[in-house]
Parts: sequence; structure tokens; C-alpha cells
Amino acid sequence: MENREKLKKVVEDVFLLQSGEFRLDLRRDEVETWDSFGVVSLAVGIQEEFGYHCTPAEASGIKSVGDIINLLSAKGIDFDH
Amino acid sequence: MAAVLPWPPSDSAQPLEADAQWLVVVGGGTLIDQAKAVRERRAGLKLVAIPSIWGSGAEASPVIVLSQGGRKEIRINSSARPDAVVSWPELARDVPDERLRAGCGDCAAHALEGFLSPLATPELREALAEVIRRACALPLGFNPEWFELSALACAGQAQSGVGLVHGIAHVLEGPLRAQQPERNWHHARLCATFLEPVMRLNQAGSGKWNQLLAAHRLPEAEIWKLLRDLFEPESFRAALPVLRQEWRNVLRDACSRTNSVLVRPDWLERMENLSLP
Repeated sequence: MENREKLKKVVEDVFLLQSGEFRLDLRRDEVETWDSFGVVSLAVGIQEEFGYHCTPAEASGIKSVGDIINLLSAKGIDFDH
Repeated sequence: MAAVLPWPPSDSAQPLEADAQWLVVVGGGTLIDQAKAVRERRAGLKLVAIPSIWGSGAEASPVIVLSQGGRKEIRINSSARPDAVVSWPELARDVPDERLRAGCGDCAAHALEGFLSPLATPELREALAEVIRRACALPLGFNPEWFELSALACAGQAQSGVGLVHGIAHVLEGPLRAQQPERNWHHARLCATFLEPVMRLNQAGSGKWNQLLAAHRLPEAEIWKLLRDLFEPESFRAALPVLRQEWRNVLRDACSRTNSVLVRPDWLERMENLSLP
């Protein structure tokens, strides 16, 4: 699975999004379930899908799907293909 | 000054004499948590807990779990722990065996979910690993050591978190009591029933289970034996239709969302298809 598809699946599963709710520009303040528990769950999901272990500061600093892409891209995970 | 809390639990804002200085609670986790909530509202009131059954470890925890309209309200208050705990293990001698075994399941669920929690530190994991080792060596049934293990497990999980077992137990308890009153559902029994299925999914869901068990030298075969001994197939099958109804709420539960492995929507189907005895 392409990394963009994997990311979509993780975000949908973590935040219990309905079909069509995922967007690349989705922000934390638009998602009710993106609370402190969601932050933990997102960190777990990122580790499972991409093998990267977020620090607590990194996980709580993520404010949008774009931030996830930026964080993982900086670790060498490619979202361009 | 004597005080009697209402049972079954209800809004207990006025059960105490106005000048009561001590509240002594003898009971299980539900009653102890109710007493902790009463004490929160009464500055200066001292609380003594005498647990009559093991499992919840409520006497050792800053967590308060209350039932509100069939749902669980959970909060943490660092000053919620009782001022004193009296050990009186003989109180559990007359408790039905089913309740005692379920209490062992609640204790094991706290220890395992706290150990596996993504929020656990290595030091906490080592402490909880020791609780798990001791639990594996104990028979399920009356043994005063379960009181100690329950207190250690609950105090430990309060520092990290629990997971899907508790998410299921918190969400299903109310609906199951309403829909299947003849089955006498309660929190500990739900923990005992769902511990093995959830741990199987956790193990299959990521390599974390195997890595952490190996890192802390935990005896995997003995753990699975404990979980198998706690598992009640008939209860599991009876609870599944309600789990199906409530699955969306289980996914949204705070405990489920801090599970060691990401709980995916398709886990319900996988749980239903587990090859269990």
C-alpha cells in the first residue's frame, strides 16, 4: 500500500472518521476525537504503520494531517509517490 | 459517627451526618469508589477502606469510576486514595467462587493492560511484570495474596492506562445488565471474559506483545494458561450480540483508545471469528 493510502487508513481508524471525511488538509480542531486520547492512539497507529516511534512532544505537536506528513517525511518516509 | 452509603449506588450527596469525620467503607471497588467520590465533596473527611474482595484495587488507586446512567464516568484525583486501608482477607471467604475468579480476571487485566500500555515507562513495566509473574503462579480462588496483587496492579495501571478490555467492560456493563439481568453481569466478570480474546488480538495486531514479554522475561505459556482459565466461553458468546450493538461506543471509549495496539473497526469481526474453546 502506498504511504498516502496507509496514512489515510491510520487517520480514519484512529479518529473513527466516516468515509469521505479524510482530507490532506484536515486539522485537529475539526475532529472531535482528536483529543488527548486521540494523540496517544495516533502515535500508536503511526508506529504500527510506519515503524516510527513519535516522542510525546512530537505526538502532541501534530495539529493536522499535513503535520504528520511533514514529521514522517523528515524521517525519510516518502509521500510523493 | 456512622454513615451508610446507598446500595445500589446512587447520587450519594447527602448520606453522611453533617459532622462525620471518618467514613469507613467495607466492600468492593464500586462501593469504595463511591466513598472516594463522597470524600471529594467533604473537605476534611477521612476515608478508611476495607476491601471485601480483590480485583478492582480501588483502595490503592487515585482513579474514581462511577456509573452514570448506565455509562462509566472515570476521573483521576491524586488525593482520592483512602487515608488508610485495612487488610481483612477473611471477608472474601464467603464470596461466591465466581466472583473471586472474576476478581482475579480484573486484577490480571489491570496488570497486563497497564504493562502493555503505550504510556508505561520501562520501570513501571518491570513492576507490573512482577505482578503478572506472581498472578500466573496463584490458583484462581480464595488466596489473600490476590488482595496485594490487585492493589499493586491497580496502582500501576493508574500510572499508565488500561486498554480495550476495560473499554469493553465499561461500555457493555450497563447494556448487559439491562438486557440480560439473569446473567448477573459485573465489571470484573467482563474483564475476565474478554481478557483472552483481546490479548489474542493484541498479539496478532503488532509485534509489541512478543517484544515486551521477551524484554521483561515473562512466561508466555503461563500467561496464556491464566487467560484460558479465566475465559468463560458461554459468557463470551452471550455478550457478543451486545458488543456488536455497542462496538462504535467501545471504539470511542477512552480506555480503548489507549490500547497497546490500535483498535481497528474490523476487530469486532476478528473477535467474533477467533477460534476460542
